Amino acid sequence: MTASLGRALILLALLAASAGALVGFAAGVRRSAAGLAWAQRLAYVYAAAMVSANLLMVYALLARDFSVGYVAQVGSLEVPNWVAVTSLWSSLEGSILFWGLMLGLYVLGATWTNRHRHPESMPWAIGVWLACAAFFSFLIAGPAQPFHTIPIPPSDGPGPNPLLQNHVLMIIHPPFLYAGYVGMTIPFGMAAAALLSGRLGPDFMRSLRTWLMLPWVFLTCAIVLGGWWAYEVLGWGGYWSWDPVENASLLPWLTATAAVHSAILVERKGILKGWTVTLILASYLLTVLGTFMTRSGVFNSVHSFTQSAIGPTILVFLALATLFAVAILAMRIDRLSPEGHLEPGVSRDMAFLLNNLFFVLLTFTVLIGTVFPLVVEAVRGVQMSVGRPYFDRMVVPIGVALLFLLGVGPALPWGRASPEQARRALLPPLGGAVGLGALGLALGVRSPWTLVALLFGGYAAFVTFSELWLPVGQRIKVRGEGVLEAVAHVQSRGRRRVAAFIVHAGMVLVMIAIATSSTQGRTIEAQLVRGESVALGPYTLTFLGVDRVSEPHREALVANVEVKKGGRDLGVLTPRMNYYATQREPVGTPAVRSTYAHDLYLSVLNLDAQGQTLGLHAMINPMIVWIWIATGIMGLGGLFGLLPTRRVAVAPAPAMAVEGSLSPARSR
Amino acid sequence: MNRKVLVAGLVVTLPLVGLMLMSLGRDSHKVESPLLGRQAPPFSLRPIGGGAPVTLESLRGKTVVVNFWATWCVPCVDEHPVLTAAPQRYGSDVVFLGVVYEDEEPNVQSFLREHGAAYPSLVDEGGKVSIAYGIYGVPETYFIAPDGTIVSKYVGPLRPDLLDGFVQEAQARAGTRRSDAR
Repeated sequence: MTASLGRALILLALLAASAGALVGFAAGVRRSAAGLAWAQRLAYVYAAAMVSANLLMVYALLARDFSVGYVAQVGSLEVPNWVAVTSLWSSLEGSILFWGLMLGLYVLGATWTNRHRHPESMPWAIGVWLACAAFFSFLIAGPAQPFHTIPIPPSDGPGPNPLLQNHVLMIIHPPFLYAGYVGMTIPFGMAAAALLSGRLGPDFMRSLRTWLMLPWVFLTCAIVLGGWWAYEVLGWGGYWSWDPVENASLLPWLTATAAVHSAILVERKGILKGWTVTLILASYLLTVLGTFMTRSGVFNSVHSFTQSAIGPTILVFLALATLFAVAILAMRIDRLSPEGHLEPGVSRDMAFLLNNLFFVLLTFTVLIGTVFPLVVEAVRGVQMSVGRPYFDRMVVPIGVALLFLLGVGPALPWGRASPEQARRALLPPLGGAVGLGALGLALGVRSPWTLVALLFGGYAAFVTFSELWLPVGQRIKVRGEGVLEAVAHVQSRGRRRVAAFIVHAGMVLVMIAIATSSTQGRTIEAQLVRGESVALGPYTLTFLGVDRVSEPHREALVANVEVKKGGRDLGVLTPRMNYYATQREPVGTPAVRSTYAHDLYLSVLNLDAQGQTLGLHAMINPMIVWIWIATGIMGLGGLFGLLPTRRVAVAPAPAMAVEGSLSPARSR
Repeated sequence: MNRKVLVAGLVVTLPLVGLMLMSLGRDSHKVESPLLGRQAPPFSLRPIGGGAPVTLESLRGKTVVVNFWATWCVPCVDEHPVLTAAPQRYGSDVVFLGVVYEDEEPNVQSFLREHGAAYPSLVDEGGKVSIAYGIYGVPETYFIAPDGTIVSKYVGPLRPDLLDGFVQEAQARAGTRRSDAR
């Protein structure tokens, strides 16, 4: 019964999305207001059907209704309710259903907030969203149907993959990732709408950028949450390994970040319209590519779903979406004529341009490193992998160049700067650069790349904080306001600008932390007999013994390692070795002691069952905590910029001019 | 129509899509395992429903297909007909064994009653054999040559053509005994 109702809801979503896509396109072609209204209604129906289907699945998971296919596959009487709910996205079919939920919510939000705006573009946008929605509904209805009926339900199920149960980060990482991936559908549809309607004015660009920023924030958090999970769970001491699936999440982030920046030039100067639209289209296509890479089984990765028949279907969608994007770009890009031009010379505009160049370069670098093994295998039939050295060698210089721009760009004025202006803008932040560089040197940093990163980082930090402080300081000086009052005014007047610099502050911090943590760490490996100690930096680590722990899904050997620093007892850390029945090899869980300066990171290399000897891998990883904190700053900064301002800065919505037809006032 | 954009767009995207298409045939299910080329871990397990224990050692001289499966695993249920049809095709030179993975014996019995069984399914108490074979998830199938070495490992549901290929590969190994197999 539940299963049939679920299938009916998915069918309804498929119908509403397909019909809505057709109606949207037709309304776009005929500029019909009535058509737009119908497209909006169908978008709401789609969203409602998807939300209901997901609620129904959650209900079935909670009720342990094993007559529903997906519940029989991942449900279990033994798991607690929160695991039951989160197993909605723990396996392939459920995660695609969850994808549908996200898309439903996004389509609902984007349709609703723009319901009275951009009548010439919205029919196209809704059409494209619902076309994408129709594809994913088709996936859910067919190849990845979670609601098939199990005629003779089993009395109990196996429960979700234990590896996904062992850390709370693995529960929250996927929703963030889906919110990032799926959300790119909205800017994709709007960019396509700009091309199809031949218009990309500042007003529509602003709406578009808002809907680009939201998934950008989620994607940013998702990427770092994934790294955090790897760091806390996998036990090799790092947070990023250039795994194809990690790269798959980074690629759309790179192009989307570029687009977030070029969009500002579109808004301010009316230039780079076609380029910005291309970046946005590419961001979505890269999320589809990423989905394909994780679901098709083409790449082997700890992150991918193992069995999957939906790879070919997603590839067909990727091919169609790509052709669609290239076709509308080729046909319509010339209509998005620039309204200004870029002046040559040293300026913020030019920094934006370079920023875009580097981000695109980075995208291609990562993309090539990711697919190169496939090229080699296709051409020569040998398996190979592109290792860390390629990525490090290629990505580090580009990253450092971007860090340079992060400082220099915002320091420069818009338009062409005179040499005098440029000097005035560029010289003071050198204080920040020298300060941080000197601090690094004093703390023992000798790696040239890290020192360069510290110099540029210090420069960028100086610029960022003075940009944040400058308007506040001015209000205090000129108007005699108190600090809080001035901050309140500045943030409500120029919220997006403030938000942008908060995000920049986070980014500077992330990059400094990455540069420091990846080059300034210390590592030892030691074989310790019970009672024996080893020193690492300021710490003395003593192996006390082993506890044996039995848990439902795993057996574990837990090593007790006493940590002392200068004679002060800091307690016992317990890295462990887990033996899952379902895993090839024992999975270690590291123990991490975080401070603001560094993490002490212990993992077990080997451990004998009698608990007499411990192979210990111990690391001091500097500044790691700041990566997580700074990402939080970036996320909150991004969300802050999306809050509606009291003073609505948006031009009044063009009214639906004539009953039954849209305003014909279009710039051709 | 902007031809430059069209050409550039196609030049960048088509090879990528094409590459993904070519890679679809790529089988990342055929997994590298440290056990490949090594002697298969020995086991002696009791069949479901009773009977004398089946010992791998006693099957020397025959090609052995060991399928790890469970009734709760949907792909295992999908491949079940492929596997039950197979022994008849190959005759007595190829021995099929199922090893039940994390499942209850009554569930397995009722499943086999319903869907049929063509070869013994073995009870792996405590999952020791699964651990020895490094089972990652089910279904996983190992192909063991007559000399006792593991020739290949496949993750995921088998199709008849794949099964034939792997069995032939394992049979061919009979003549080319590897020197490092201990």
